[in-house]
Amino acid sequence: MIFTSFLRETLCRTKNLMLSRTCSIHICTKAIQNMISSRGLYQHANQLLSRKASHRLSSQVRGVKSRKNPHTERQEEEWRKRNRTVLTYIAAAGVGMIGMSYAAVPLYRLYCQTSGLGGTAQSSHDAEQVESMTPVKDRIIKITFNADVHASMQWNFKPQQSEIYVIPGETALAFYKAKNPTDKPVIGISTYNVVPFEAGQYFNKIQCFCFEEQRLNPKEEVDMPVFFYIDPEFDEDPRMAKVDTITLSYTFFEAKEGQKPPIPGYS
Amino acid sequence: MSTAMNFGNKSFTPRPPDKGAFPLDHLGECKKFKEVFMECLKDNRYDSSMCRMQSKNYLECRMERQLMAKEPLQKLGFKDLLNQSGEDPKH
Repeated sequence: MIFTSFLRETLCRTKNLMLSRTCSIHICTKAIQNMISSRGLYQHANQLLSRKASHRLSSQVRGVKSRKNPHTERQEEEWRKRNRTVLTYIAAAGVGMIGMSYAAVPLYRLYCQTSGLGGTAQSSHDAEQVESMTPVKDRIIKITFNADVHASMQWNFKPQQSEIYVIPGETALAFYKAKNPTDKPVIGISTYNVVPFEAGQYFNKIQCFCFEEQRLNPKEEVDMPVFFYIDPEFDEDPRMAKVDTITLSYTFFEAKEGQKPPIPGYS
Repeated sequence: MSTAMNFGNKSFTPRPPDKGAFPLDHLGECKKFKEVFMECLKDNRYDSSMCRMQSKNYLECRMERQLMAKEPLQKLGFKDLLNQSGEDPKH
């Protein structure tokens, strides 16, 4: 009996030290008494050694604040979920934009093919316009002609007139002359250039000798006509107000047999 | 090939002719008409408006000899010339 009471006291004191200071002694002894009566000394000593506070005691501890407030925890989780949805939407939009910018290239090409604009913004030149256009009589433009050949091409190529005076809206004819001085037939193909650059869009060729293979037999000389007109809208363009000379320049290249050159325009 | 650098990369893109290319006049069938036209130009100080009749004749020669696709002359901008000389053959 004495031994039990002594043991009880020591246990209580050690427990007191281990638990928080708010534990009062009478709770301690009472708990110890209960424990001893129900479980036995051995079990209680085991529990003490394992440094765990008993459940009954800790539930009665007052004033210890938990880190998580149960009321705000649900709201915070809601916010987190909402943030995640918003972030997903933004990421999806970003990826969508990048995808659209890649898709735009073939889509634009398709649009150009169907609309026939060829990537440049210019008014259409159709046959009806030639028929219905009225010449602008008070604006005289000088057209000068230039002829070039590629270095390896042996034709003699030159214009038959150095200049010609035309008015916008009126069709005009001009001639070039080409001679093949060699003993072999030579196939040539030509391209042209118009200076100044902005006037080039008003320079419309009805028919010429460019962009198709032209074959000259040995020692042959031919006349090559160019049938063209200047768009009447040339007179209304403010950028063209100072322009009164347009230079048309043709360059001939040698074409290999069987080679099919691409037609200029959007392909 | 642009003259002004403020265009950046924009360069001249040649356009194909509206009615395609003239077949070459290897046999010189319309050379006479061309000579008449060039004479006219020289006489009129290379004024194209004065020599439109000659250019019309040259093109008609080409059309007759299969050197040019046949087109009504109004489509080639010779409407006023047709009104002047009413007996011109219309194709």
